[in-house]
Amino acid sequence: MWRKILVGHDGSEGAKKALSVAVTLASQLGAEIHTISVEEKLPHYAATVGEVMESKQEAAEYFRKITVEAQQAAKAAGVTLRCHVLPGHEVETIVTFAKDHGFDLLVIGFMGHSKIFGRIWGSTSQNLTKLSPCTVLVVK
Amino acid sequence: MELTWQVAAVWIGLALAATLISIRIGVSVALVEIVVGTVGGNLLDLRLTPWINFLAGFGSIVLTFLAGAEIDIQVMKAKWRETLSIGFASFLMPFLGAGAYAYWVAGWSVEASEIAGIALSTTSVAVVYAVMVERGYNETEFGQMILAACFITDLGTVLALGFLFADYDWHMAAFGVCTALALWLLPKVTPWFFAKVGSKISEPEAKFILLILFTLGGLAQAAKSEAVLPAYLVGMVLAPVFLSNRTLAQRMRVIAFTILTPFYFLKAGSLVGWGAILNSVGLIGIFLGVKVAAKFIGVWPLTHAFRFGKREGMYLTLLMSTGLTFGTISALYGLANRYITEEQYAVLVTVVILSAVVPTLIAERWFTPEGEPGEEALERRSSAR
Repeated sequence: MWRKILVGHDGSEGAKKALSVAVTLASQLGAEIHTISVEEKLPHYAATVGEVMESKQEAAEYFRKITVEAQQAAKAAGVTLRCHVLPGHEVETIVTFAKDHGFDLLVIGFMGHSKIFGRIWGSTSQNLTKLSPCTVLVVK
Repeated sequence: MELTWQVAAVWIGLALAATLISIRIGVSVALVEIVVGTVGGNLLDLRLTPWINFLAGFGSIVLTFLAGAEIDIQVMKAKWRETLSIGFASFLMPFLGAGAYAYWVAGWSVEASEIAGIALSTTSVAVVYAVMVERGYNETEFGQMILAACFITDLGTVLALGFLFADYDWHMAAFGVCTALALWLLPKVTPWFFAKVGSKISEPEAKFILLILFTLGGLAQAAKSEAVLPAYLVGMVLAPVFLSNRTLAQRMRVIAFTILTPFYFLKAGSLVGWGAILNSVGLIGIFLGVKVAAKFIGVWPLTHAFRFGKREGMYLTLLMSTGLTFGTISALYGLANRYITEEQYAVLVTVVILSAVVPTLIAERWFTPEGEPGEEALERRSSAR
């Protein structure tokens, strides 16, 4: 049914649940599975280059850690997981990546922003569901 | 009786609030501190005591030193023609353009017009660097050339600030001789001293750097120059030492960002009156337009001369139109020395902040060059530069 699965992975509890479900699905369907992590917290309009460099290093360390954890979880289930880390805006980057690489299922965790924030701007999961070029599975 | 700790608690409280907001919204803490400073200055009774002024001044010196120490001399040497010409034009045209507008059209004094020219001539290396990193250009030849050109622009700004208002007497001679001697000796003496004392918890390396900065800053002050001038130059000559000693660079940043720069940026913001901004909305817009237009006149033709593509040329020119740290330093210097009024200060700082944001947004939205590096390998990303 689904041959190519993409998991949005930011290291949160919701993302971990999504990864677990996606790994199970990939294992059952024999599908290809990838994760995408988006680095969107580099400080804009910084005062020194060092501030940006240190934020970048912190982010790189964080994504390295969550990538290793994700790969170990997938390996335990007998699935090969490919991980991608991209800079940019979360929704825009995931949607573009899914479109460019022909994924047919996007699996994401439910991201709990506050009710007010969600009502005004829409949550990341809502926006991804709206804009994704493929079927979206939101794991709660 | 001055309630020192109550005043300190208010300032550090604002610094913490700015930090939390910056983490939440992904905007640099410096910019948020300026904005929070304006809130504090307009709504709270934020007091500027001598010790706050000292910490703020100390912050601007360390900030400038760190900016100088981030220069990659090798890139500058490899592309010296493009780097020097674009960087110099990027300084000169806005300096002349904004200064001329302030003097002949806005009716500012000569000194105030010079401060306006200097404050609006800057290019923010850090703002440009963040964009480069996000797009992955920092590792391309194009990106490295832009960054190197930004350093030249800032050098022009710092030199103008250091020399335009100085007294040319024996104090200046002493300052010039000592600075030249220090710049010649430091690249040799510093690695020797660091090797001798080693990296210790008592931080002899950082104290050595601060001693140099304060001594030269003192001489600059005596000559009515500006302490950020030697700080930037010392940073430049010590850049190779800092590039190879990342731990020291990180410690200096920790010192600066924890206890020094919050006072500098909060103070810079606290002196911006909202009333002055409202009274001068038109002038702020015009100054921003003059800055960007002057950058275009200076930089854009050179991008063609050096055979950049159309989009690359526009992108580069817009990024060179950004400004932040040196712009606020110049404006604050002008206010502290009474070359500009509080209203003129509010105008300049507002334009500087807008120039950090507006050209970046336009460049990213409409002029991102094609063929940007998309995905970066995890291995490459762990070494930031």
